[in-house]
Amino acid sequence: MFSKLIFRNSRRNRKENGLLFGSLLISIVAFYMILSLSRQDVMFFLAEMESDAINKLLTMVPVLYGMTLFLLFFLIFFASRFHLERRGHEFGVYLMMGMRRIRLFVLLLAEDFFNSILSLLIGLPAAILLSELTSLFTARMVGIGIIGHQASFSPQAVLWTMAGFLAIRFAAFLLLSGRISRQEIGSLLVQTPEGSKKQMPRSVYLFSLFSGALLLLTAYGMAISGVAWHGPGRMALTVIAGLTGTLLFFYGLRILIGFLAKTGGTDNRLHVFNFRQIQENVIHRSGALAVCSLLTLAALCCFGSGLAIARFYGESEPHVLDYTFQNPENETDIAPVLKTLHDSGLDGLFSSLFEMKVGHIRTAESISDAFSPEPLLSALREMPPSVDRDILLNNLSYETSPYLISLSSYNRLLAAAGLPGLVLDTDEAAVYMDLDFTTPERLRLINEILGTRPQTMLAGKPCYLTGSVLTTGLVTDRSITLSFALIVPDERFESETLGKYSVFLNATLAESATEGGSLLSAISDTNQKLKKTGLSFESYLQNMGRQLFYMVAASYITIYLAIIFLVMANTIIGVQFLMNQQKSGRRYRTLIHLGAAYKTLCRSARQQITWYFGLPVTVAALSSLFGVQALLTGILSARAKNNLSEMIFISAAMIFVLCVVEYIYIAAVKRSSDHYLLTLMVPEREE
Amino acid sequence: MEPILEIESLRKYYGKLPNQTKALDGITLQVIPGEFLGIMGSSGSGKSTLLNCIATVIRPTGGSITIGGKQIQTLKGTELADYRGKTIGYLFQNFELLDNLTGRENIMLPLSLHGIPEKESTRRLEQLSSYLEIIEILDKFPSQMSGGQKQRVAAARALILNPGLILADEPTGALDSKNAKALMEKLSGLNRDTGATILMVTHDSNAASYCKRILFIRDGVIFHEIRRNIPDESRQTFYERILKVMAQLGGGSANVF
Repeated sequence: MFSKLIFRNSRRNRKENGLLFGSLLISIVAFYMILSLSRQDVMFFLAEMESDAINKLLTMVPVLYGMTLFLLFFLIFFASRFHLERRGHEFGVYLMMGMRRIRLFVLLLAEDFFNSILSLLIGLPAAILLSELTSLFTARMVGIGIIGHQASFSPQAVLWTMAGFLAIRFAAFLLLSGRISRQEIGSLLVQTPEGSKKQMPRSVYLFSLFSGALLLLTAYGMAISGVAWHGPGRMALTVIAGLTGTLLFFYGLRILIGFLAKTGGTDNRLHVFNFRQIQENVIHRSGALAVCSLLTLAALCCFGSGLAIARFYGESEPHVLDYTFQNPENETDIAPVLKTLHDSGLDGLFSSLFEMKVGHIRTAESISDAFSPEPLLSALREMPPSVDRDILLNNLSYETSPYLISLSSYNRLLAAAGLPGLVLDTDEAAVYMDLDFTTPERLRLINEILGTRPQTMLAGKPCYLTGSVLTTGLVTDRSITLSFALIVPDERFESETLGKYSVFLNATLAESATEGGSLLSAISDTNQKLKKTGLSFESYLQNMGRQLFYMVAASYITIYLAIIFLVMANTIIGVQFLMNQQKSGRRYRTLIHLGAAYKTLCRSARQQITWYFGLPVTVAALSSLFGVQALLTGILSARAKNNLSEMIFISAAMIFVLCVVEYIYIAAVKRSSDHYLLTLMVPEREE
Repeated sequence: MEPILEIESLRKYYGKLPNQTKALDGITLQVIPGEFLGIMGSSGSGKSTLLNCIATVIRPTGGSITIGGKQIQTLKGTELADYRGKTIGYLFQNFELLDNLTGRENIMLPLSLHGIPEKESTRRLEQLSSYLEIIEILDKFPSQMSGGQKQRVAAARALILNPGLILADEPTGALDSKNAKALMEKLSGLNRDTGATILMVTHDSNAASYCKRILFIRDGVIFHEIRRNIPDESRQTFYERILKVMAQLGGGSANVF
């Protein structure tokens, strides 16, 4: 009989508290996903190239796990508390019938344990499957699928997920059962209403509302202007202003809702009732609502800025080259490299092999006057003032001895990229700038000057700068990166460098090498072969690996945190609403007596849900527009800031996606509410 | 005069044979406009079931209930909601005021439910609140009112849409004798002055003495009926007659005078 009671009660608990049960399943999946991160294909792949960075990322996993446990403990504690409070009468009846408190404790513990095990039984297989799919999907997305898929199943992650989940549930249960065991049977039997909270004068709420809004505005201002990032003290001040502002704003919000209840909407059925219900919820739970709003804000910021950062670092330069070889013993002589490739029969793997010649001006008397950037600087000075102009003025003033690039080798590169070649007269030069050091706006300014074909002096001889700035990377990754260089005809290159220059051997893989697999797997295979020859080289994989790491690190962690925060906030709001609705079931029965149709009641409850979710989410969405911008202002490098407007657009788009998630949660709560109201429509025998 | 309410062989059975409970077992009665009818009976006699059947809170097993020429069992959806709100007004034993709404908001609730502009009923609200002496408490919340005030606000809510029939379920059940007397005088005054039709279920013989006619129910059937001879019979005399019937209720029909 006892076991039947446990079984039935736990089934009812799942039904009544379905939202919490669903959220717990999501958290189990999230737990497992983060714990099994090291077993993802993409991580195996990255570990080969960026092992230090990957190790650093993986050391963060336990911290994230601990933090999530801590947060989820509160979620379980609050959601279970609402539920147990509602069951008070039932516990009172058990005790009145002579059930000992210890037996009641065992009953509740068994119910809790049964549901926890069921959550794990459903959640873990789902998590394992999802983790496997994610591993396969990301591997396929970045083109490493063929390199070799390894099962992402991690027994250790399963054990830690189970241990963590059961531990927080048990801890929450112990605290809650302790509260119940201390209560008198009488107070359990009588459903104590929420109790009217002490009313303060209206001016207190008004003051709270306005000072909250003011503090929030101050926090936004400090965050966006960048003041918050000037030091830990200022940052603390901004955070405190934001937190206090949100709490005060929600505390004072009752006055606004009370005002809405009294005015307008007379044509709207149950307008007053709706707003009084919302007002009551806001009065009793203003703190919880503020916390939920802050959690949603945290989720939105994580999601928005994480994706923007991932996109920024994931933004690659156009892919032209697959390999760059060097002769470390003698930079000027690449012939031994070609010979080794030929001897080992590997030169057939490449469709094109060409030299990239880069050298210093050696004919000038001193390095400080090898090149005169003055004509460029004077043209810049005449342009309208802007941040980009000032940066260029500063940077170019140091370019008195730029590198020279041979025209023929650069034309081979352009040909490999499928671009038209350059034609230069003997007294002409073209400007090269690496994309890492410039921005579209700066390129535009330089191109404008180059359009006038300015005359400069190169090693004491006239040199006309022509064409537009070239940005196609000289090598495959980072063997050499130049902020400013001049491409000159071969004769002039040879004479100005006195024949002393560095030679890099660039290569692109032949189509036959990439057949039957992705480019990355072909490069990976070729790498293995090249390693045996002892040659010094860099491949596109390194370039790709770095971008991939930033993308994966930023997106995995931020999305993980965003999901946890969102699940918490929405579950707390949803559970609170549904529990309050059940507590005010009597009111709904009265409305039915007074002639309320089912549709009217549903519409009324739905309106309340929209408002109840809408209040914290709107405040969070509004704050996040500033929050994401502030995060980007503080975190991103100077170069990335130039794309700030684009990033904010991406963040705004992601916030939109999250609003869709909110909508789904709201729809789920509305369905539960409709279902509950339908049960009230069934006549009840009252004798 | 055409009856406002006609009940024909009304039955309500709970459970299945052989453990069936017959809460109502073939009740037939009529209520004419302007009547103040009391229903009395011991606990479990079926009086509240009868009221709940009329209020469409529970569905009868058989028989028919006709109000204003319409069988209420056939009502559905909006028609049913309109019936509950506009045709009948319900006065609860425990007032059932919404504790997060002010007195005025509680009274205006049926208007909001049925989409009637508040302006149209402002006059009626003024009349009712003045008659029921609740003007001062209109902007107070139920927690700030006494039991008597709560029940008078509930009465105003039941009357605001001027329903054809007021159903009162033990309206004095949660009131002290002073407040109970005050409420009954108001209800009886409304019946007398405005011709409101009231059907009241009660245990309280004192409250019942305000009625014009009383039906006694026992074991789901009408067991006895008494009428007050107005104006010859005083309320006190009628009260004594009620007490006599109540005393005999346990002893069967042979003991009724």
